[in-house]
Amino acid sequence: MSEILEVKDLHFYYGEIHALKGISFNVKENEVVTIIGGNGAGKTTTLRAISGLLGGIASGEIRFFGERIDGKRPHKIAGMGLAQCLEGRHVFTSLTVRENLDMGAYLRSGAEVKDSLEYVFTLFPRLLERESQKAGTLSGGEQQMLAVGRALMQKPKLLMMDEPSLGLAPIIVSDIFKTIKQIRKDGMPVLLIEQNSNAALRIVDRGYVIETGEIVLSDTAENLLKNEDVKKSYSLQLLNVHAVFSNLKRRCEKKLSRCKLEKTAWTFYNCKEKRQSSERTC
Amino acid sequence: MVIQLIIGALMIGSVYGLVGLGYGLIYKASGLMSLAQGDMLMIGAFLGLTFYKHLQLPFIVALLLTMLIMFSLGMVIQRVLVTTLLKKGAATVYVILCTISISMVLQNVAMFAWGTNVMQFPPIFKKSVINILGYDLVPENLLALGVAITCMIALHFFMTKSKFGTSMRAAAQDPMAASALGINVPVTRGASWGIACMLAGGIGVVVGPIFGVYMSMGSMIGQKAFAGAVIGGYGNMYGAIVGGLFFGFVETFVSAYLTSNYKDFISFAILILVMIIMPTGLFKEQVME
Repeated sequence: MSEILEVKDLHFYYGEIHALKGISFNVKENEVVTIIGGNGAGKTTTLRAISGLLGGIASGEIRFFGERIDGKRPHKIAGMGLAQCLEGRHVFTSLTVRENLDMGAYLRSGAEVKDSLEYVFTLFPRLLERESQKAGTLSGGEQQMLAVGRALMQKPKLLMMDEPSLGLAPIIVSDIFKTIKQIRKDGMPVLLIEQNSNAALRIVDRGYVIETGEIVLSDTAENLLKNEDVKKSYSLQLLNVHAVFSNLKRRCEKKLSRCKLEKTAWTFYNCKEKRQSSERTC
Repeated sequence: MVIQLIIGALMIGSVYGLVGLGYGLIYKASGLMSLAQGDMLMIGAFLGLTFYKHLQLPFIVALLLTMLIMFSLGMVIQRVLVTTLLKKGAATVYVILCTISISMVLQNVAMFAWGTNVMQFPPIFKKSVINILGYDLVPENLLALGVAITCMIALHFFMTKSKFGTSMRAAAQDPMAASALGINVPVTRGASWGIACMLAGGIGVVVGPIFGVYMSMGSMIGQKAFAGAVIGGYGNMYGAIVGGLFFGFVETFVSAYLTSNYKDFISFAILILVMIIMPTGLFKEQVME
């Protein structure tokens, strides 16, 4: 089987932070691959580095159907048929559902677009009901459907999905995973990024486990499901992860805003030392 | 009398609205502020004058040609100047400063090219007054109003019905998602600046015959358009038009019934009052931070 996407030794820095430390993986034709890992492991960074949304990568090679795509601008990469469902949905809230879908088909024209639209509406009949509603009025699950539908409107050669289950009720999560199964059955290769490793591994062929910017494990989905390490590290984490994360985020935000306030105050009073110390704590 | 006043207020109001709309477009698309809109209007007026008076082109051709040139000018300013500044890591305030410099440069260019005198725009219509339903109206006023309304309607349909217009709105809202869908976000930003300049320039051509064409004609109109845009909720296209009309009506009626010497004083006092009472503008628009 030929490779659709091939990532070799990908390094990426956020300023000074070495976020990706030599990631290598591939996606072949007719398969669904997942990258699983905890929070801050570098899943989203990997996807966004591939699709060019983060600007240039530090080193490494990304090939899509054999052609180098690292260094290309994101809209060019999207034009080559690499679609991405962003984490946190990112629907255009002030546009209607239909306009959102039309934007998915931005680079396409003609009768094929209509076919895609019908396909999306059969996958998500709910979107047809809400066609002329503003996307911002949809529920979280519906927005996720819209995000997936919008990516499908690109008729991509590879669909990359970034945590489609994030922040959704369990029943809607299972809906989303059913849809991914269906998309896969319809012949579109998918690269799925998930924290929900159990659910993800049940619908994919192969999986990679990522930890702090490195691939630590790669195997078939079956083997990964049986793997005790994977189970231990993620099923436990899964139970708490949403609660812990939101808690942490809230605390961080509080602290950060206080820090910023302090910093401004010290800047105002021209106390260089105090300002620097509060900058450090930030 | 009242009818003429209303027509006049509508005319000047929609001029403010259309120029102000450009501020909103730029702000929505790039989170930046351009303070050169008034001088874009001035440059547009001079270009229109040149095409119409000196090159003897038909008025409509002069208008469209001016709009085309102004669109390119706006696009170039964004794609070359602003993008370069932002690439170098300049803060928003420097970009705003840059647009102030641009307006100075434009004024000086106009001074070099056309001089400092007020230039008369030759009349566009043969009659100086026309009679409609028993009211004497100035055809140039009607023309300005007509062009302004046409531009607004055209822009509305462009932004909501065309693919590129929709993509401009999408890119303004979520640039990352837009570029992941294959939308060329830098180009949509450039187009927003281009359209803003195009509207101001086009309006310059139609107000030229009313106010005369001179170097500083843009500054007052630009300020009032800005005020209108702020009142309407900065960043809201339709709000800018309502805000501009509001200003046009206040100004016209104050100068007709109270005092024309202090009309600006009163208009801007009302602006401050509105800002205190409704800090988010007439339409609650989310302002970017």
